[in-house]
Amino acid sequence: MENGKHILGTFNEALRSLRDNVLMMASLTERNLNNAIGGLLRRDDELCALAIADDSEIDELEKQIDKDGIEVLLRFQPVASDLRRVVSAIKLNSNLERVADQAVSIGRRARKLNAHPPLAEMEVIEPMHRHALAMLRDSMHAYMREDAALARAIKPRDKALDEMNRAAGRVFTEKMAVDPKQLRGYLNLMFIARCLERVGDHATNIAEDAVYAVAAEDIRHLHA
Amino acid sequence: MVTLEKMPDVISTPSIPPATEAPQKAQIEIKDFEFAYGENRVLHSVNLQILPRAVTAFIGPSGCGKTTLLRCINRMNDLVDSARVERGEILIDGININAPEIDVVDLRRRVGMVFQKSNPFPKSIYDNIAYGLRVAGVTKRSRINEAVETSLRSAALWDEVKDRLDRSGLSLSGGQQQRLCIARALAVEPEIILMDEPCSALDPIATARIEELIHELKTQYTIVIVTHNMQQASRCSDFTGFFYLGNLVEFANTAKIFSNPTRRQTEDYITGRFG
Repeated sequence: MENGKHILGTFNEALRSLRDNVLMMASLTERNLNNAIGGLLRRDDELCALAIADDSEIDELEKQIDKDGIEVLLRFQPVASDLRRVVSAIKLNSNLERVADQAVSIGRRARKLNAHPPLAEMEVIEPMHRHALAMLRDSMHAYMREDAALARAIKPRDKALDEMNRAAGRVFTEKMAVDPKQLRGYLNLMFIARCLERVGDHATNIAEDAVYAVAAEDIRHLHA
Repeated sequence: MVTLEKMPDVISTPSIPPATEAPQKAQIEIKDFEFAYGENRVLHSVNLQILPRAVTAFIGPSGCGKTTLLRCINRMNDLVDSARVERGEILIDGININAPEIDVVDLRRRVGMVFQKSNPFPKSIYDNIAYGLRVAGVTKRSRINEAVETSLRSAALWDEVKDRLDRSGLSLSGGQQQRLCIARALAVEPEIILMDEPCSALDPIATARIEELIHELKTQYTIVIVTHNMQQASRCSDFTGFFYLGNLVEFANTAKIFSNPTRRQTEDYITGRFG
């Protein structure tokens, strides 16, 4: 957003503030997702509780970014790249908030799982988390650094995450059949895998917004 | 059944075709046009095609040559000492307007002009409109009456002034005076209307009325507008040309210019990074 300075200093300041808040939102969202998954993998209810409790902070920031974005539109009537950056910030803000919601859901399911003996199949979750997190980070880096090539590379990575989710679903379904007593546990794991798959979808949306911001290209719903 | 691929793209496709793929023949063609005031060359090899029945906006910082070019389209610069065409030509409907055989009075009838500051004659509203017709030799009262009403209606002023046509044009508000000047330009049935910052002295309501009027007039006239107001250019025009230091830097569909200009200079200017 610092693509050369505007003559109007207040416009620069407003864009910088919007960018800083988006960056903050991305950091907090990533932290919450890590806390939720950490709570599951380390069987730590406190981390789960943090992921759930800290969501309100992200909700507030989401409202603040929307408000700031609308104020920039209202006061400065941005055009061209400025307009695209503001519109993208508002849109990806919503995606970040939904990633944080997934973290809350994971935290809740993890707490339920933590109340019972650990399931060995939990290990399926860890590589999915790593993959989803890397997608989220790279999509935000692409937006912040205005790197359209990095952003375009996110979409194919989502397919891999979808496949991981399908594979996890198969593993959990098979285990449910052979060990019906753990049905709830496997359902919770299946739900967590689904949440991580959704994180990948949101990261893809953010990457699409990044491409729009940088290259003025709408790559949504293009099937490679 | 209509497939998704075949559905019309109603959101991203502008109603006006891109300038580069214009299916219509240009009404105004500006070719390698260079213009100078004395030793000072103010337009450098400008090439531009202006389509009929569309609004074309010229934008750019002060001194970039946009008003000079506008005034060249009806040879208003003939009135300026030392002003001269150095090279190139401006064609209207294929005819070079700077050719020696061109009747400048007739050219200015075909190409009307509205100025930055409204300049009604110190005459009645009726006479402001009738003036151009009388100069053109129209004497028949019924014909003039008809033209006065038609022009005032076209300029969206008739309902406001129909009961006081004998009042001075100077008694009207600023916005009404500007619409009176537009009506005066319309009375002589021009084909092209040039507008030089027509709303710069008007309040937002009067500006909105003029912009609405521009939108209505473009169904019948070719309009070229110079404006410093970026929002006005994006609201009113179908095509936009960005000028800088006498050069036409970029000319394209207005939606393209204001969403994703091709040239860095255009981007820097419209986003306020210039200077």
